[in-house]
Amino acid sequence: MINQVVQDEVPVAGDLPRVRGRAIVVTSGKGGVGKTTTTANLGTALAALGASVVLVDADVGLRNLDIVLGLEARVRHHVLDVLEGLVTLDDALVTDKRVPKLRLLAAAQTREKDDVDTVAFRDLIGTLRDRFDYVLIDCPAGIEKGFVNAIAGADEAIVVCTPEVAAVRDADRVVGLLGDDRKVELIVNRLRPALVRKGKMLSVEDVNDILHLPLLGVIADAPDVIVSTNRGQPVALDPASEVGESYRAIARRITGQDRAAPEVPREKTFFGKLFGGRS
Amino acid sequence: MSSVRGRGRNLEIAVDRALGAAAEELRTQFAGRPDFYRGSRAVANLGLLEPPAVELAAFRDALAEFGIVLDGVCGGESVAEIAAEVDLAYLGLAQVAEVSAMPRKRQQREVRLSDEARSLVADFAGARADMVRRRVSGPAGAATVVAAAGVAIPLQPRPVPAGVATLYHRGTLRGGQALHNLGNLVVVGDVNPGAELVASGDIVVFGALRGVAHAGAQGDRNARVIALELAPTQLRIATVIATSGADRTKRGPEHASIVDDRIVVVPFAEAELKRESHA
Amino acid sequence: MSARRIVLTSGKGGVGKTTTTANLGAALAKSGKRVVLVDADIGLRNLDLVLGVEKRIVFDLVEVVEGRCQLRQALIKDKRLENLSILPAAQTRDKTAISELQMAEVIQQLAALCDYVLIDCPAGIEHGFRNAIAGAAEAIVVTTPEVSAIRDADRVIGKLQERGLPVRLIINRIRPEMVRSGDMLGVDDVTEILSAELLGIVPDDEEVIDTTNRGEPIALIAESRLGAIYAKIARRLEGELVPFTVLGAPSFFERLFRKAG
Repeated sequence: MINQVVQDEVPVAGDLPRVRGRAIVVTSGKGGVGKTTTTANLGTALAALGASVVLVDADVGLRNLDIVLGLEARVRHHVLDVLEGLVTLDDALVTDKRVPKLRLLAAAQTREKDDVDTVAFRDLIGTLRDRFDYVLIDCPAGIEKGFVNAIAGADEAIVVCTPEVAAVRDADRVVGLLGDDRKVELIVNRLRPALVRKGKMLSVEDVNDILHLPLLGVIADAPDVIVSTNRGQPVALDPASEVGESYRAIARRITGQDRAAPEVPREKTFFGKLFGGRS
Repeated sequence: MSSVRGRGRNLEIAVDRALGAAAEELRTQFAGRPDFYRGSRAVANLGLLEPPAVELAAFRDALAEFGIVLDGVCGGESVAEIAAEVDLAYLGLAQVAEVSAMPRKRQQREVRLSDEARSLVADFAGARADMVRRRVSGPAGAATVVAAAGVAIPLQPRPVPAGVATLYHRGTLRGGQALHNLGNLVVVGDVNPGAELVASGDIVVFGALRGVAHAGAQGDRNARVIALELAPTQLRIATVIATSGADRTKRGPEHASIVDDRIVVVPFAEAELKRESHA
Repeated sequence: MSARRIVLTSGKGGVGKTTTTANLGAALAKSGKRVVLVDADIGLRNLDLVLGVEKRIVFDLVEVVEGRCQLRQALIKDKRLENLSILPAAQTRDKTAISELQMAEVIQQLAALCDYVLIDCPAGIEHGFRNAIAGAAEAIVVTTPEVSAIRDADRVIGKLQERGLPVRLIINRIRPEMVRSGDMLGVDDVTEILSAELLGIVPDDEEVIDTTNRGEPIALIAESRLGAIYAKIARRLEGELVPFTVLGAPSFFERLFRKAG
């Protein structure tokens, strides 16, 4: 992984041309496995590390990224307004006061995915790559036009998968559709080590036995995530949250600061539950 | 538009225009692959047509150009005499279209398959229709295919025509992907659940076969399926189906073939392949 | 006598549409109704997995529409419940393989063969969604008590009402302790926002994951708590007035979770 050079927006005389930002689509196939939560939290964590990040919600008509980030009230314009030339990109980008280097480009709620021109969307992603270190695209569920739009312009993908048979099947389909030209990595989400031990849940090995993807991270199931998404406060901002720490670790792996293999969360012992983290 | 459908090892040709025009149309259809149906037997469904005997004879000759033997015709009662004049069997009234309430216009609706895929799948669908029929009625009628009007035509296994290639694929097949080939199929990689392999010949998977594999799809009961790990969702050879059990222990390379009307799986080392003189 | 044709949808993915379709279908079949479940998620099929019939699929919905097989050949009978059958989706195709009209025709044919046709809708509101609702006369919207899910459910209810489909609601995966602590919306909050008739409330249950993986709908497991709940939902669907069970001490008010069932 390339160590990303983080540059100021203000150009310095005689400096080198900017390294182009990375465009990563966060996808899954199956709905409800944590794509949006992952996009929000990874973006937050990357920005906290000092990178400039823009999050793009590609789920036109069913937008949720702004809600999960708690920025819903600040959204004035959305992707389609930009693509149709009604507003400039700067007008549409929403700033997050808690995380200065993070921006959001929201989806339209009252439109349809068919309204988005794939080529225009891809070009927009290209423009964003010229301005930001990371462009994270939140992909809708399924493999229809919304998916096709979301992956256009992204040459990297993160597949989010829960340890369930149906989710693995759908993820496998998506990986097949992503093709061979993209870098594709896996995040296993909502693992419950106790259930894995009892044989009632797939293990990370079971999942990757089918998917054959480089593992970016494994995140344990925890109730604080639901609370945080309902309140619009990404767990990555909470220093006491274990899930937040998992996202922060993944962010370090993405930037190349951390090259160690991902840890698989372990079952909590009785004492661990008493004295350990909140989840 | 006339249609050619595979029904097991034989063809049912539904004609909806004058025979001369139908023959021309079929010539055009078969022009790209003149040997595709060589050796097949066929039944023509004339619908309401009452062609002169000369035309019927010419139609039969046209089919003979492509190695298709016309055994009989279905149609109205007047067709019986016409058929007798040219030495063709009269098979009674045509069978009503199967999916009964479907309006005819559906036949003209474009199916999104290439011409080749369409004909391969049609044949394979014919083989599968037999399987379903057999499952319902039991193995007794195994070797016969019921023709359009209830006359049994014996099943004749056909060797793979000369000039047909073995398809070699390197890489894992993911859910939703399919490989169909007239000939044998070799995959170096895994075949994930949700992926499909269909071949008129043998299937060899140098990896884990976890999806659906159909060997001998045009009726060759001597076809084999061989894999380093044989754990398919469903295995089909010619018209016989089997599914793998719930047992998940890994057993090493295995070989599946039809023995006494059932699919039998043995460890590859025990498969008596060396005794065979040629494929 | 034609069957009731009901689509199960949600907007947001992962809230439990497929699990609900399977379990509600099983509960109806157990009560003596003839039920056909249709998987409309072409390309990402899962209903067969949840029911455990994956290995018995020979033909699928797309092949029926394309005339490559008879409808009856594609239907898979459940081995545990003789009144329950499923029409699986295709896996190697995509949702543009069939049109809304073709879907409606298939559903009509099925309606002549049974008492209930339950259609499992894919996530989203794109072509797959439009296909799934094409043949339906009623809708059940499944949601979880989370803000994103409720937003999406609201959008979907709007679309269903545009088509004139009557809508009923199932709230899935509710966790009473989280409602009590104020960390999850309660039933009344949800029904107030969505203003749809409540058909059922299903609590979160760890066992569901395992039963889904094994292909054994929990509604078939005798004496399971969730099985009893799905049975009640089935009765409500039939028109019976079944009260929602009271959970938790009645002395709590405000955000207390008061009902389940």
